[in-house]
Amino acid sequence: MTPDDGYVLLALFLVPLLSGVVLMLIPSRERSVIAAFTAVSSLAMFGLSTYVFVAYDYTSAEQFQGVRAWDWIENAGLLGEHGIQLKVGVDGIAAAMVLLTGIVIMAGTWVSWKIEHRSKDFFILLYVLVAGVYGTFVMLDTFVWFFFYELALLPMYLLIGVWGSTRKEYGAMKLMMMLVAGSILIFTAIFGMVSATGAGTFDMEVMFRLAPDIDRNTQLLLFPMVAVGCGTLAGLFPFHPWSPDGHAAAPTAVSMLHAGVLMKLGAFGVIRLGFQMLPEGAEFWAPGLIVLGITGALYGAISALRQDDLKLMTGFSSVSHMGYVFVGLGTMNVIGMSGAVLQMFAHGVMTALFFLLIGGMYDQAHNRDISNFSGMAKLMPVWAVFFVIASLASFGLPGLSGFVAEVHIFIGIFRAYPVIGGLAVLTAAITATYLLRMFATAFFGDVNPRWTGLSDITRAERAAATVLAASIVLLGVWPSWWVDRISTTIATIPGVTL
Amino acid sequence: MDMEHVWLLPAIPVVIFAVIGLFGRLLPRGGDWLAILGMGAVTVLAALAIVDFQGDNIAVWSEEWMKISDGSRVVELIEISTYVDSITVVMLTAVTIVTLMVMVYSVGYMAGDSRYGWYFALLSFFAAAMLTLVVSGNLLMLYLAWEGVGLASYLLIGFWWEKQSAAEAAKKAFITTRIGDVGLLIGIILLWRGSGSFDIQEIIHHAESGGFDQTYLTITMLFLFAGAVGKSAQFPLHVWLPDAMEGPTPVSALIHAATMVVAGVYLVARMLPVFDTVLIARDVVLYTGLITAVMAASMALVTSDIKRVLAYSTVSQLGFMFVALGVGAVTAAMFHLLTHAFFKSLLFLGSGSVIHATEEQEVEQLGGLRRKMPATTITFTIGAIALAGIVPLAGFWSKDEILVAAQEGAPAIAYITLAATAVLTAVYSTRLVLLTFWGEPKNRSVHEHAHESPPVMVIPLLILTALAVVSGFVALDGVGEALGFAGGIGEVVYEGAHGHAYALNETVAIGATIASLFGIGLGFIYWWGCAARAEAARNWAPELHALLVNRYYIDHLYQATIDRVILGLSGVVGWFDRRVINETGVDGSAQGLGYFGLRLKFLQTGRIPNYALAMAVGVIAIALVAFGTN
Repeated sequence: MTPDDGYVLLALFLVPLLSGVVLMLIPSRERSVIAAFTAVSSLAMFGLSTYVFVAYDYTSAEQFQGVRAWDWIENAGLLGEHGIQLKVGVDGIAAAMVLLTGIVIMAGTWVSWKIEHRSKDFFILLYVLVAGVYGTFVMLDTFVWFFFYELALLPMYLLIGVWGSTRKEYGAMKLMMMLVAGSILIFTAIFGMVSATGAGTFDMEVMFRLAPDIDRNTQLLLFPMVAVGCGTLAGLFPFHPWSPDGHAAAPTAVSMLHAGVLMKLGAFGVIRLGFQMLPEGAEFWAPGLIVLGITGALYGAISALRQDDLKLMTGFSSVSHMGYVFVGLGTMNVIGMSGAVLQMFAHGVMTALFFLLIGGMYDQAHNRDISNFSGMAKLMPVWAVFFVIASLASFGLPGLSGFVAEVHIFIGIFRAYPVIGGLAVLTAAITATYLLRMFATAFFGDVNPRWTGLSDITRAERAAATVLAASIVLLGVWPSWWVDRISTTIATIPGVTL
Repeated sequence: MDMEHVWLLPAIPVVIFAVIGLFGRLLPRGGDWLAILGMGAVTVLAALAIVDFQGDNIAVWSEEWMKISDGSRVVELIEISTYVDSITVVMLTAVTIVTLMVMVYSVGYMAGDSRYGWYFALLSFFAAAMLTLVVSGNLLMLYLAWEGVGLASYLLIGFWWEKQSAAEAAKKAFITTRIGDVGLLIGIILLWRGSGSFDIQEIIHHAESGGFDQTYLTITMLFLFAGAVGKSAQFPLHVWLPDAMEGPTPVSALIHAATMVVAGVYLVARMLPVFDTVLIARDVVLYTGLITAVMAASMALVTSDIKRVLAYSTVSQLGFMFVALGVGAVTAAMFHLLTHAFFKSLLFLGSGSVIHATEEQEVEQLGGLRRKMPATTITFTIGAIALAGIVPLAGFWSKDEILVAAQEGAPAIAYITLAATAVLTAVYSTRLVLLTFWGEPKNRSVHEHAHESPPVMVIPLLILTALAVVSGFVALDGVGEALGFAGGIGEVVYEGAHGHAYALNETVAIGATIASLFGIGLGFIYWWGCAARAEAARNWAPELHALLVNRYYIDHLYQATIDRVILGLSGVVGWFDRRVINETGVDGSAQGLGYFGLRLKFLQTGRIPNYALAMAVGVIAIALVAFGTN
């Protein structure tokens, strides 16, 4: 990547923002124009994201690439030179996350065309949210980073509250309150770090250089604030209760983006602000992260065993899978932490596919209790095939994305704590149990005559599902595209063992 | 064929799977001819490779799959690689021939099925996964293929998923084997942790040079063995295999008799040099096999479903193979694996022929089919005799090898138990043949529309019958020499400490033959013609009969564990999440804040005197504190 690619990174969040503005100018009744415009703009986002991922050169010595900065405020008050700037740049982790966002927003846009109620407003909010997500992934200034982080969260409240289902006000409010509480911790921690480094700048590159030297006690205090603050968004046990209810309430595309991308934003924050800046704090608290991670993994999987609502099951499944991410991060070795980032990607595409399919069914049936269905494979064969693919990835079938991520995490955790490694492998078996139980009940057996009116997923949904399923297979079969980019970046984190 | 191209063997069927899976609807006949042609090509290529095989172990081909690096230095390299040795050769022989026979047979058996093309796509997928398993040179790739065959098995057991019982059986099979796979994956990662490699030969080398801690390695190998126990349906994870008979019968013949279920045997044989360094683990293999062999054979005695009898028989015979491995006789195990693949797939396909003709698989409803289905009767009977181990059929030679190995290398209890199991084997084989094909028809309507199967099904039966007759002869020096490996199978499969030229141990051979004949005699006494004697056999020990019919209550125990313990735990965790974490922790804190807000708002009265009073009290309080501290 050249510095000029910084303009591409800039475009990453400008395209959705400007698309939102353009959408405001299109009359609401012109639904086909809105659909055509969002098709183009989502394709543009996907194209830019893919470009960033492909162009990121992992053989280069430069960890951050495409770096460009524009000063905003400097030499004022506490701030010194380059105090707060709009500074973009990506490393291997961010590049992978950008690609994930591109894939999920494209698929999410396609399945949202069938929304009839205030569809224009929906897309505007969705694109503001995505601008926030992209901004967080590419921003190299902690102050602006936090701005985009919040920009990604706030539209959620309206998106769930207006377009949601199943106790939507409750779900939206709980989600918002918990995440904002987390944000307070993050905001405090960011200011704590900036003040402790004493450089008078929010520039991340400067902080990566200086923050590791912050005295140990301050690091021990700041790291848990970051871990809990960002961890809340990542579904870290026991700060996860917004996840099942929030997912159950959210409309399809929002669930896809939220579980697929936003939860990764939290884990990304833990890496960026925690592991990359506070190595001593990370080392001290890593075992704690592992304990919470494995507890969440087992807890989510065991809870999912008895869930009847498909979305609740998937919500708990997300808690379980994100638990793996924290286990991987806590290993503090390259292979385990790379596994954590791989898992972020793998879980992102997989869970987006899950929510897409559940939405495609719920929109027709207005019911998603597993026990109410049977013989769905007969009624909606294409739907069922995609669901099976997502499930196989979910319980780590080799050759699909989940396995690549999990095997890295397992190897990493076995190197550090073998017993917890054993529990992690066991969790994968429990995951298989609840998914297969669901297949046997809802997919197979005689067709329940109540649902004979259901038709298979629409063409747009098929296309979106194909994109997601293809990503699952690609990561599973050619993992080196991801592993090369991610592991070289992970290796630069201070305190990480090879 | 050049050994470097052995990766072609799995590559061909995987491409065919993709083609039929995606475009099967556009192809004539759903693409069955494509699957069969592809499998034929694989069989020919495998035969060429086997002919070329020189007898030395060779690592053949490897390619980087993924690597962890810090930019300059590679920290972790994970490869895919193929490896061919004599064990691979035996597996390739069994897998390719049986798969091809089953595919041809399926053209008749599955004719008219609504998912006919998809069935052949799945068979191709299975073949690809199984061949990958056989040729893989490292454990991670083996695990990949291991799960692949598991998936194929799941989809094929549940092939007729409209039947709830089939869907449940598929689920049970997958989850049960998955429990073993947890152990397998843990074992593989622990081996990697100790040796730094997934490569099988490197791990073996590391173990033989004493690189592992003994306790560590013992635990590791037991984990690894758990995978074999699950896949090969050994006690206590044997429960899935009888239920797996819900799948189409050719699938049972292929996956649940000849190929996938022997993957566990293959894994232990492959890793046997490592097991040899930790004898406790090897003893666990031995006794697991022994318990399974006798237990499964006893259940086969009372089962009335023709396919389930064969399923228990398979479990029992796999137990024999594990006993052989447990005493370190890899040759005997692989030899029995080969002959068993032929005669057991023959028996399954024969039972399929019966089911195809009568649509009935309860032996209580069959009988007297010998006149209507002569070819099936003859081939099935020959298969049963081979299973019973009567000279000169295949089963005799390989079972004899295992008995000799057990007599030489294990405590007397092992030999005695195996001999007793051999008697039971002969009894249930005889019972099955007599009840199905002899006597008078028990159900007229079933009997009436019975007919011999079409040639496309009978010809594979005949070929497998021929193999069930002659495949035992590969033990003999002369036959081996004619086929290109001097010394017979004993010399080929394992060199070094385990290898030995085949020599008939007369005492064991005569003893085993007498045992088998005794078993056949018992079978005739109880089930030849007279129903009263069969009734007497049942009432001989009613409690024992009930125990066997209820499968030692093991399935009941597992079901109760799942219902009470696991789902109970899930209920508790779910309750904890909703009530404690969510309603108390999250909603509770929100309501608490709301409550305080509700109370505190009354302080805002809007009246100036109230505020002035509060201010005055505050000022006085601060003044007092200030004076006090000074």
